Amino acid sequence: MAWGGRKYDAIVIGGSHNGLAAAAGLARASQRVLLLEAGPQLGGTGVTAAVGPEYPEYNVPSVAHLLEALPRRIERDLKLARHGLRLAARNIPTVMLDRDGRHLVLPRNRKDLAALAEVNRKDAAAWPDFDSRIGRAAAMLAPLLFDAAPRRTLLRRLVWRAEWHGPDSLGRLMQLLPQSVGDLLDAEFELPLLKGALALDAVLGTSDGPYAPGTAFRLLHRRAMRGLGRGPSIPLGGPGALTDALAAAVAAQRGEIRTGTRVVRLLLEGNAVAGVETDDGNAIIAPLVVSALDPRTTMFDLLGTAHLETGFVRRLPPARPQGNVGKLNLALDGLPEFPGLAAALHGARLLLAPSLEAVEHAAVEAARGGIAGDPVMEITMPGTVDPALCPAGHHVMSVLLPFTPYAVEGGWASRRDELMQRALRMLDQYAPGLSGRLIAAELLTPPDIETQFGASGGNWYRGSLAPAAIHEARTAGQAAPVAGLWLCGPGTHPGDGVTGLPGYALAETIAAERRRQ
Amino acid sequence: MTPDTLPPPDASDAGDRPRPDIDPLDERAAVDPALFEQPADASPFARAVLTTPLHLAVAAESRLNRWTAWNGFTVAALLTGFDDEYRALRGAAALTDISPLTKYRIAGRDAGAFLDRLVTARVAPLAVDRAMHVLFCEENGLLLGDGLLFRLADDEYRLVTEETHLAWLMDSAIGLRVRVEDVGDTLAAMSLQGPLAAACLSAAGLAGIENLPPMAGRWTAMAGMPLYVSRTGIGGDLGYELWVDPEEAPHVWRHLMQAGAPLGLRAAGMVLRELARLEAGLSRAGRDWLGAFAAIDPAHALTPFEYGAERQVDFGKPLFNGRAALLGRAGQTPPRRLVGLAVEGLEPARFAAVMAGGHPVGIATTTGFSPAWGCNIALATVETAALSAALSVDAEIRDGLTLRRLALPARLLAEPVWAPARRHAVPAPLKT
Repeated sequence: MAWGGRKYDAIVIGGSHNGLAAAAGLARASQRVLLLEAGPQLGGTGVTAAVGPEYPEYNVPSVAHLLEALPRRIERDLKLARHGLRLAARNIPTVMLDRDGRHLVLPRNRKDLAALAEVNRKDAAAWPDFDSRIGRAAAMLAPLLFDAAPRRTLLRRLVWRAEWHGPDSLGRLMQLLPQSVGDLLDAEFELPLLKGALALDAVLGTSDGPYAPGTAFRLLHRRAMRGLGRGPSIPLGGPGALTDALAAAVAAQRGEIRTGTRVVRLLLEGNAVAGVETDDGNAIIAPLVVSALDPRTTMFDLLGTAHLETGFVRRLPPARPQGNVGKLNLALDGLPEFPGLAAALHGARLLLAPSLEAVEHAAVEAARGGIAGDPVMEITMPGTVDPALCPAGHHVMSVLLPFTPYAVEGGWASRRDELMQRALRMLDQYAPGLSGRLIAAELLTPPDIETQFGASGGNWYRGSLAPAAIHEARTAGQAAPVAGLWLCGPGTHPGDGVTGLPGYALAETIAAERRRQ
Repeated sequence: MTPDTLPPPDASDAGDRPRPDIDPLDERAAVDPALFEQPADASPFARAVLTTPLHLAVAAESRLNRWTAWNGFTVAALLTGFDDEYRALRGAAALTDISPLTKYRIAGRDAGAFLDRLVTARVAPLAVDRAMHVLFCEENGLLLGDGLLFRLADDEYRLVTEETHLAWLMDSAIGLRVRVEDVGDTLAAMSLQGPLAAACLSAAGLAGIENLPPMAGRWTAMAGMPLYVSRTGIGGDLGYELWVDPEEAPHVWRHLMQAGAPLGLRAAGMVLRELARLEAGLSRAGRDWLGAFAAIDPAHALTPFEYGAERQVDFGKPLFNGRAALLGRAGQTPPRRLVGLAVEGLEPARFAAVMAGGHPVGIATTTGFSPAWGCNIALATVETAALSAALSVDAEIRDGLTLRRLALPARLLAEPVWAPARRHAVPAPLKT
């Protein structure tokens, strides 16, 4: 029985960025697509909403606040600009906030470098070489990390590429991959501010401290991811604008989107997918089902263990580690004053990580189920570049709180205020008088993010990206044991982050396979 | 000061003084059971030498003090002598402690579905209080293990295996409403094999035991002690296995030994168990073949087809572990086969390599001298292509300190050496 008498070529389960990108990609390849989202709204963690129900005029990116790596390929192919995606600021600089007002910009040009040299000449001298080394290594890895489908030949191709880049590059890469970012930075730089910011960049979203092995790889991965797009950008209207543009791209290709429709079961015909059954008892028929949900959810809850061999279950990626990033959204009655911060940098990405030790301390506290006394943060003030978000003269602030444990000692009910107070106290030290300007504040702990935005385990930022957990080790889209079932959620190649890449790459793979047949 | 010149320990140290109630010269004195008890605060893995609940009862029968290890447990190798035990096994009845077997309890609403996915055969037709031999494979169709599956209730099963498989069973249980637990510590087991096995049980008070059909079991009681008795075993003859609470196991053992003594019942050890299964043509995981995860060389693991259990693979089931891989091999002749060999020669010999035309074509994994046939027999994995050729084994025979190397002709055994019709008879014979 087809829904409303229509027949579909493909059904996409889950309206996250990945699900939307997959649906748009399939629709573009002239498939009749139906996207089913269980919740009332699309976008997963990529939504823009009011700070609280009482403050509808203060809109803020609820969870994710930057488009770090929206691949240019997706932007172009899906004509997202035509569907309403505008960037308020693109490739925004990263500012390392200093308590004494001597803020530094992570150097991107001669002027930034000169400012760094004024503070520490040695680090400024070491920067260009470090930066280009990381850049080269990231460029070497990028095609391997973001290939359409994982291949078994990753290491062999890595060796070839490294040989091509020069005789020493393989050795250097092999040294870099298993290293900790803390050790890497200690050997290169002196300035605590610089080391703290780079370390936070690498470990943000994970539960590893900067001295955990393999964290240097994350620095490379993040750099490679940014290389796909146009650098960290703030979309006009917040991340919800990207969701809307992707939804418009689906609709433009005559794809259908239904929210509030939960898929309860996959329908099978022999060993192939025949469609899905929804919670209202409808059966929707389609020979192709793409799931943007977690692989374990898809396999165990929708397909059922009875259709899976134990060996396959063993190879599934382990249950996702619990989320480690909280979110603090603030509505302010004016622009907070960071003494010494140039006006042009108010729209930048502000990193509050005074030193490597501060990051390490926060990680250790979180591992014990505690809250760091001086939390580290990533801050944006989207109101400075996108005035429509809040009333004129007022501002909103979006703060990521890394190393906010999923399960805090004593329970979140009793410790929410403590985290909020500590974060505000920290912010007050950098922007005196900020808490006096507060109109409303919204704190989202990882469990809140899990219940409100459907990110399993509250793990919305990035999965456990370690050299051991990429590429072959991830579930490939087509690895499902049932014909016609494909996976593109987080935990599938090529990884997490608001990129839409797993979904779009999968749509391309499917389309290529269709053409071949 | 060397240890030899150390002063004697302080006489006031009560712990070192000989205990007055144990006379070291009295060979019939009771052994202090505390010697075999694990201290309450010890971690379960700290103890290197494990003893079965029947250890003291078995030790009381030992005249040779020959012990061996089985699954980490100390078990008797020989108790009263090979000839004596073999005569009892094939002429009367022999009782063996088989507590070291691994036992899993599998229970829950999805237990049947769990097992149907786990093993190659169809489990659903198994009735309550019946048992079946099962094989289970990994995804490439290689055997992980085999075992005896008992259905104890509608959704409660017991799987008895040679090796441990808990990790695989737990991973197979993900997403199913089934509970898997290792009940090895809470269940002692003994095996009573031989033509007079039913008579011994009957003498011990299990009335009507002769009506229990093969591969069936039931709850009963011996001298007031509840036990589960099943007509199973690896002797190739009439035989029963008793599954008992560990506390009561020694009492069941002694009661049965007393009741069976007039019929010729003897305790037997591991040597006889190995010979009995060899004569019955039954292979043993970990010896004749390796589980797929234990085999570093995949050639040391077998498919069910090489094992010789085509009929136990049911492709009618929509899914079981290894189905797709086995389906691909179903029509083909397996490259190797597990076969029984009889080797000419009238004296016990040691051999391993199986040759055909001067080339090695297989390996004998269990060998033994069968007194019943008066020749050496073996279980061997042999290339299928060589099975029709003239086989021989490279044997070593010892005479005192001299060693003779011989190539002894070998032939395939079409059927087990020991397979009397009474093993299937209902009612089971109560006298020879």
